[in-house]
Amino acid sequence: MANTKLLIIDDDPDYVDGIKSILDKADYDVDVAYNPKDGLEALKSGGYDLLLLDIMMGRGAEGVMVARKINKDPKLREIPVLIITGIREQMAFLFPGQPVHPRLLPTDALLEKPVEPSLLLEKVEALLKEAAEKKAKGA
Amino acid sequence: METTPKILIIDDEEIVIDSCTHILAKSGYQIVTAKNGTRGLEMMEKENPDLIFVDLKMPGISGLEVLGKVQEYDPTIVPIVITGFATVSSAVEAMKKGAYDFLPKPFTPDEMRLIARRAIDKRKLVLETIALRREKEMLREQFAAIVSHELKSPLGAVQQSMYGLASDLEDKLSNEQKNKIERLQSRIADLLKLVNTWLRAISVDISTIRENFEPTSIVETVSKAVENVQQHAVRKDISIETSLKEPFAPINGNEVTLVEALVNIIGNAVKYTQMGGHIIVTAREEDKKILVEIKDDGVGISAEDLPHVFDDFYVGTTKPEGERRSGVGLAITKRIIEAHDGSISVDSELGKGSTFVILLPILKQEE
Repeated sequence: MANTKLLIIDDDPDYVDGIKSILDKADYDVDVAYNPKDGLEALKSGGYDLLLLDIMMGRGAEGVMVARKINKDPKLREIPVLIITGIREQMAFLFPGQPVHPRLLPTDALLEKPVEPSLLLEKVEALLKEAAEKKAKGA
Repeated sequence: METTPKILIIDDEEIVIDSCTHILAKSGYQIVTAKNGTRGLEMMEKENPDLIFVDLKMPGISGLEVLGKVQEYDPTIVPIVITGFATVSSAVEAMKKGAYDFLPKPFTPDEMRLIARRAIDKRKLVLETIALRREKEMLREQFAAIVSHELKSPLGAVQQSMYGLASDLEDKLSNEQKNKIERLQSRIADLLKLVNTWLRAISVDISTIRENFEPTSIVETVSKAVENVQQHAVRKDISIETSLKEPFAPINGNEVTLVEALVNIIGNAVKYTQMGGHIIVTAREEDKKILVEIKDDGVGISAEDLPHVFDDFYVGTTKPEGERRSGVGLAITKRIIEAHDGSISVDSELGKGSTFVILLPILKQEE
């Protein structure tokens, strides 16, 4: 899995450290961006297999903006996204009329902070697998 | 600065109006008057008085009718009846209609001033109570915001760091040390769960529950709720027996919150029942309603706790052994059930167990 590149976009260094440790341990190659702007730039520079995205950043739900921008870019849309947020309850207010887990992106999943190691690894693996299968079908 | 209390006097006799005005004006009140009930009600809406003195016997609409309208318009206005035929029965009737006091004719200036002063105090207290209640609501909402931002996210960050640390040190720690970390994690997890429950209690917004209503099967709802607590029950060797008498008409509701409501009650039943106990969940249709009954043979609820079990943050005197409680589960449940136009009640005796009964209206078939 050493060749699998993951990117975390989250502005809380403690969460980032906690999550990164678990992923490092599982031999993923993990990069970090501490704000949406750096995150998007890193993502565009390419080569990432999966994005872990925090929703509540900066002055509000800036993670949602990131998700929308990714959605508009045909290339970035291919990258699976794991949304990690502390605000499952409030998600419904951000997306009124939608189920609690709004499908922000073509391939995504949602986990609530804090994330247990086993659950985190399980979701990451599942998303990578799903994305690989999709790619194989498309090719 | 306090505003001058305003008093409206409604009486058809000019001499009464004049003398009342004279008596009360001296005490520093602002007086407005009306010669009949209809005019009086108009004045009430225009002037919004603190008190209304109203004659019971007037041509046109009666004093009693005026009382009813005052209640409807603003129940905080304090009405006092003036009665020329001071019989107990007419006074009692007026009090039943919401009059705060009565002034029998003839009366002395002192009698009238005394009654007016008492009534003004009463009005002040009523308004203060309303203001305090509003303040309490606001505090509650602010508390929600504080809990959410100041407690939840740092706690979550601590937990995430613990996970990271445990992962980093996996090969280096002794079993004993790992066990310590696990215990730390479990305590933080408990705290987080508690914070989440509080947040949930405060954020249950009845209007948003109602937005997601759809025809919902009570059989499925009950089954899901039982499944949810089954593991806990098995650990305590408690049997949960369900008896669902089909067919059921669907109800108009939101399954997710209904399951939550039932999980709170059945979960409580498990918490407050000793090892090897029994819980029976029955559901049946009765009188255009669905009745769900959750009966346990657990520790029961004391008579002093019973009236308060649905209050926010109320934890009773009976403590479940080795279990956590937040004091909001049943309060949330009640709010959810009421959002479904249903009702919930409880019957219990210490040492004998508790029975919770939920009534939900069945979905009206479209014609």
